Amino acid sequence: MSDLRRPPHDGRRSVQRRVAATREFVDETPSTALAAGLVGGLALIGVLVGFLVQSPLTVLALGAFLAAFAYGWLRHQALTARAMTFAMTASTILVLGLITVFIFAEAWPVFEYASGTVFGVQVPGLELFTTTNWSPVSEPIGYSLAPMIHGTVMVTVVATAVAGPLGVAAALFIGEIAPPTVRELVKPGVEILAGIPSIVYGFIGFTILSPWASEAFDLVGQGTYLFVGLVVGLMALPTVVSVAEDAINSVPESMKSGSLALGTTDWQTMTAITLPAASSGVSAAVLLGVGRAIGETMAATVMLRNSPALPEPLYNAFYGYETLTSLIAARYGDAHGLQFNALFAAGVVLFVTVLALSVGSQIIEARMERELGGNQG
Amino acid sequence: MSGATEYDLVREDTSTLELGAGATVGFAVVLFGFGLAGLFELVAVTESVAGVQLPRLLGGLLTLASAALAWFGVASHRGLVPTDPRPSAGVVAATGAAGVWFVVGGLVGSQTLGFGTVGWLALALLAGAVGFAATALPREDLGTTLPVAALTGLGGLALLTDVIGPDWAWSPVGLRATFAAPIAIPIIVLFCSLLVGWAGAKAYGGFGARGRHLGAYALVYLNVLSILGVLVGLLAFVFTKGAPVVVQGITVGPGAGPETTIRLFGFAHTVVWPVDWPFVMNGVSLYAEVSGVLPAIVGTVWLVVGAVLFAVPLGVGAAVFLAEYAEEGRFTQVVEVATNALWSTPSIVFGLFGYAFLVPRFGGSKSLLSGMLTLGFMLLPLVVITSREAMLAVPDDYRDASAALGVSKWQTIRSVVVPASLPGVITGVILGVGRIAGETAPILLTMAGATEPSAAETADVVGGFALSSSPPFVTNPALLEATSALPYQLYAIISAGVGGDAAFGWGTALVLLVVVLTFYAVGIASRTYFRRKLHE
Amino acid sequence: MSTELNETQTEAAQSPAELGGATTVGETDERTRAEWVDHEFDGDAKIAVEDLNVYYGDDHALTDISMEIPEGSVTALIGPSGCGKSTFLRCLNRMNDRIGSARIEGSVRIDGEEVYRDRADLVELRKRVGMVFQQPNPFPKSIRDNVSYGPRKHGDLDTTFLSRLLGRDDVDEEASLVEEALEQAALWEEVNDRLDDNALGLSGGQQQRLCIARCLATDPDVILMDEPASALDPIATAKIEDLIEELAEEYTVVVVTHNMQQAARVSDQTAVFLTGGELVEYGDTDQIFENPESQRVEDYVTGKFG
Repeated sequence: MSDLRRPPHDGRRSVQRRVAATREFVDETPSTALAAGLVGGLALIGVLVGFLVQSPLTVLALGAFLAAFAYGWLRHQALTARAMTFAMTASTILVLGLITVFIFAEAWPVFEYASGTVFGVQVPGLELFTTTNWSPVSEPIGYSLAPMIHGTVMVTVVATAVAGPLGVAAALFIGEIAPPTVRELVKPGVEILAGIPSIVYGFIGFTILSPWASEAFDLVGQGTYLFVGLVVGLMALPTVVSVAEDAINSVPESMKSGSLALGTTDWQTMTAITLPAASSGVSAAVLLGVGRAIGETMAATVMLRNSPALPEPLYNAFYGYETLTSLIAARYGDAHGLQFNALFAAGVVLFVTVLALSVGSQIIEARMERELGGNQG
Repeated sequence: MSGATEYDLVREDTSTLELGAGATVGFAVVLFGFGLAGLFELVAVTESVAGVQLPRLLGGLLTLASAALAWFGVASHRGLVPTDPRPSAGVVAATGAAGVWFVVGGLVGSQTLGFGTVGWLALALLAGAVGFAATALPREDLGTTLPVAALTGLGGLALLTDVIGPDWAWSPVGLRATFAAPIAIPIIVLFCSLLVGWAGAKAYGGFGARGRHLGAYALVYLNVLSILGVLVGLLAFVFTKGAPVVVQGITVGPGAGPETTIRLFGFAHTVVWPVDWPFVMNGVSLYAEVSGVLPAIVGTVWLVVGAVLFAVPLGVGAAVFLAEYAEEGRFTQVVEVATNALWSTPSIVFGLFGYAFLVPRFGGSKSLLSGMLTLGFMLLPLVVITSREAMLAVPDDYRDASAALGVSKWQTIRSVVVPASLPGVITGVILGVGRIAGETAPILLTMAGATEPSAAETADVVGGFALSSSPPFVTNPALLEATSALPYQLYAIISAGVGGDAAFGWGTALVLLVVVLTFYAVGIASRTYFRRKLHE
Repeated sequence: MSTELNETQTEAAQSPAELGGATTVGETDERTRAEWVDHEFDGDAKIAVEDLNVYYGDDHALTDISMEIPEGSVTALIGPSGCGKSTFLRCLNRMNDRIGSARIEGSVRIDGEEVYRDRADLVELRKRVGMVFQQPNPFPKSIRDNVSYGPRKHGDLDTTFLSRLLGRDDVDEEASLVEEALEQAALWEEVNDRLDDNALGLSGGQQQRLCIARCLATDPDVILMDEPASALDPIATAKIEDLIEELAEEYTVVVVTHNMQQAARVSDQTAVFLTGGELVEYGDTDQIFENPESQRVEDYVTGKFG
């Protein structure tokens, strides 16, 4: 991110330098290796294109690629390895690109369908958010995502209220408070908590928690945002703990001992020095926890009512209907046409939100690294 | 310079204050345990113990704790016990108190006194302000203990005088939910004991910096204990519920088990298992005594194998490029942001992607292969991230030493960097596998097949390979068919409704849990082992 | 002190001196040791250390250290790197407790009170025994907040929002305390117009004097300094040295240094630690540098080894 500040005139010179380097590379590399690389590269693109257009000839391109690779590996191993690892890196980014393209493409029809006008300008997808009617089969037809967004917000708020403070406190415990032997016990414990599959949480929630809550609070039917939020908060907790603990550990020891040597208690040092210095990392941790909570699917799917509606009153957490994730998981089976596209629209909302949270937390973390790095000098 | 009073370097042996405050904290712990037991219905809070109704007993105990706390505050203020209080308990504590008293005032106003919105809001604000002032204005010893004592006393007296009795219930208007005594009483007890514990710990430390330190530590320790308690409770619960189902009908002896025939390109070999373990060796069947989850286990195994075969070479290769070849710059930054974003992308989005991208390209129906690749996509970013970290952690000395011997860069990577980073890579892969093995959402959309698969529907990937004369020349119907997996099977049991076979569900949940947690345990253990080895 | 111990000391003492080519070593060393171990200064000892041993895991970092440090003076701890002088310093305010693998045996008494007792109050100890570290480590806060950090945390200054609201804050006291501490640390002239700036914007020498001011503001009895000038340029070093001499009028200063000229310039007593974590000689600075009893110390202070 710091590269953004690089002066602009650098671009042309670097292109020239790169062209020169490429020419030198071409001159120095044996022509057989170049040919193999060219064939391999073209074949790989062929594989990709063939797969995208669903051609049975894809396998031929794959064969050509494998042949070029085998030749390269036997004759020019170092060059081939370098080219291959680059291709692998590129394909990692390609996956993110493909996800973006495919879910956007599948969601587009419903965006077009639900476009609304603001000040005479057509905004695709506006009515997904401004109306509240989800009714894909019976009239009036509507594909509003608002009830699901509301559900996701409710679950996320409860989950963050659980995972945020408890997670940061647990991270402080592991990073600063616990004696080494206890830490060795608690840290894997929290990781194991992350390992319990969400469907197991869901199963317990569905068979035990939901019926209990329904009876204990005398609710109509089963499914509450409150308890889904509690369960999801428990699932997001390990993410918060491990990222926040990294942030707390990255605060220089010299700063902490500087405070302790002045005769402050450990707790004063934590609240006045360690936590403020680690605040960016800790907030990144909470953001990532929020991302996990938003994307959590199975516990919500099996514990909610799966009927898109807004509770009365809006803050009523004792009644839980539908989240963006549970909408997709519960309806993918019998969705056709626009309803199917609407599921992808829900996916787009999820994807974009979590992407923003992820990038945001990375920017915050990068800032923390810079700030603390500046202290050392 | 700052005019601090000098205190002894070494504190005297345990004082009366410490004994009393320590006893109060212990008392709060016991009450907290009571509250938990009540909430989980281990103790019926509406029953009687030795002729005394339990709510009254709890009310009495709360009142007692409240009195003890108030005594500490006053005694400290009068100088009867040696403490070191600040002029004020501070804004944080005062804000917390204001919040609590706001809620209490609002509840009393709207429910007990029956005020309208304006009335209860006014009362709530007033109570909040009083709570804030009562905590912030007096000296710390009074500001800490008295508001907590008042609240606890209020709760205790309400229980003691039957204002909140066994038949008490509260239905807030509009919420369509009721708070009845069996829920409300444990919550009151839990909350009050939490406050008493905190204030007691502060008193134990003699207020001041030391008291705040102890009060905060009490809450942090309680938090960590609760997290561990939830973890242990969850695991124990699934084990006790699932174990009887899973171990049903196990017999051991030569030839006791079923036959397995392995076929590969026409060759066949048959093995007879020496163990018969119906739950993991049978499918779902109306005729067998014990229905099992064999197809789901096999499906999960193949899913993991496929995802690992796809993601690990790709991810490690990318990590080699990023750590060894690529110059630190914009490109590596983009890749880093992209892999991190990919790692936090919700699993259901991967499912949607697999459904739109892979399913139409593998015969148009859900298939094992789509599931493998979808999970592979999910695993890929973690493999890249952990492998890159592991490679960057290899000391440059290794590379320099190798380069000084005139070894080429690729040879160095192959024979020095990759082996040295292998432990980190393997650990990362194991932990990642643990995660994807338990994923339900992606396979729901990409590979899920029969909800109650019989043994005959077990995927036979090894035997499925066949050669053909037209592209793509190698076919394997098993890869292109939908099958089951443990998490999916559990989901199927849930979606079949409450009337479904809950016991079978617990068994499935236990097997899934054991499979996933084994990966985690191995991953964490290997990481601990290699770290320790590194530090030696 | 057991005889056995003295023998070990003597043996260990011989080898480097022999390398240095000296002839009569053993006896001198033993006689010296007997003399200085029970070295009594006029008046009461501020700090009394007895049979202190420190182990890091299997590593024996300090061996049977006994010494008494008089009040109101500067005591320098010198020796080659890795000799345990910093470890010794950090034992005096129990900062070694932060290191999990450290095991500490023996006794350290400050004003006659045992520091290594179960119920010793670390917070109280560190209020009384301040410390300045090798690397300047100001907090990422304003200069003012750095100086008043200790008193505020001790409850001696109340400048919170709440107290300001109630009009019972100590903002004026804070201002005078900050000025006094910065004056004492010879930093006031340089920073009085930018007290609200972040302390990380100061130069290294200024940061170190800020850390000294931060320590003085908590009104300690003893100030421990761990090579306080090693990261600084000569001018900043000179300022710090002047400061140390001034501080000795009010405080008991213990300063670790690997710079012998510095020790000779600033200190009243000097303790020489040599490899293996042993205290080889301890006495008045003039005597240590001009007429050391031990051959090893003479070799060290004259630069023959170390």
